Amino acid sequence: MLDASYVGRSLPTTEPVAVTAASVTRFAEALGLPDTGAIPPTYLISLTLPAADRLIDDPDFGLDWGRVLHREQRFAYHRELRAGDVLTVTVTIESIKTVAGNDLLSLRTAVDSQDGLAAEVWTTLFVAAATDDPAGDPQ
Amino acid sequence: MSLADLAVGETVFTASYPVERANLAAYAEASGDRNPIHLDEAAAKAAGLPDVIAHGMYTMGLVSRAILEWVADAGIDARLTDFTARFAKPVVVPAGGTAVEVEGKVRKAADGAVELAITATSAGERVLAPARATLTAS
Repeated sequence: MLDASYVGRSLPTTEPVAVTAASVTRFAEALGLPDTGAIPPTYLISLTLPAADRLIDDPDFGLDWGRVLHREQRFAYHRELRAGDVLTVTVTIESIKTVAGNDLLSLRTAVDSQDGLAAEVWTTLFVAAATDDPAGDPQ
Repeated sequence: MSLADLAVGETVFTASYPVERANLAAYAEASGDRNPIHLDEAAAKAAGLPDVIAHGMYTMGLVSRAILEWVADAGIDARLTDFTARFAKPVVVPAGGTAVEVEGKVRKAADGAVELAITATSAGERVLAPARATLTAS
């Protein structure tokens, strides 16, 4: 079980990182999208999920990536992002719901560019109970 | 065409994309998600899965492709402003590959924005449920 006292906490904002044209091209090509320089709609997941890795590195929180299944994903885009934009990412633990020892962990991640809030990304992870076989359908 | 021309209930696109294991390997490199259940049959089976499965985010990415291809083909001047999906079932990718079918239908249309209800299926199963996308006039 996750430590529910983490709800409402934010991880420290990541260092600014410039979106490289090569990373946008690679992501677009992997999905068969035309490479227009605009970042593909789901590209931000490649920044937001790694930003949450620090939760795995925190032994007090109790998150074991081997028991995690991706359950829901939402993106709200406030402005178009392009290769060259400089982004920071702030992960907030929005909620933890525990049912029969399994946790549903919802993270809200704010993505800021040099022009302000660019996108919000919500990720819900199913975290299976430690002693049981993983339930649900992995993604 | 503009968003104002779209009627609630109208099916605006259908698309089908083949999915091979090589696609998952390319997506793993592009996204940084190298979980072996998406790449290696033995690892997937050891995790209790029937076979290699696609990343949920790969499937969501294919849906984004269907949306963007439709917007470009229809000449609609709009941008995606909200995109959400629940991963209901995995897309199982056997050695010979599979396919993902995507359909978009207008769910709401008001105030210069259109919300699409997206259906995504593979091997006859709905893999995303629900999935929605909002387009807002540029």
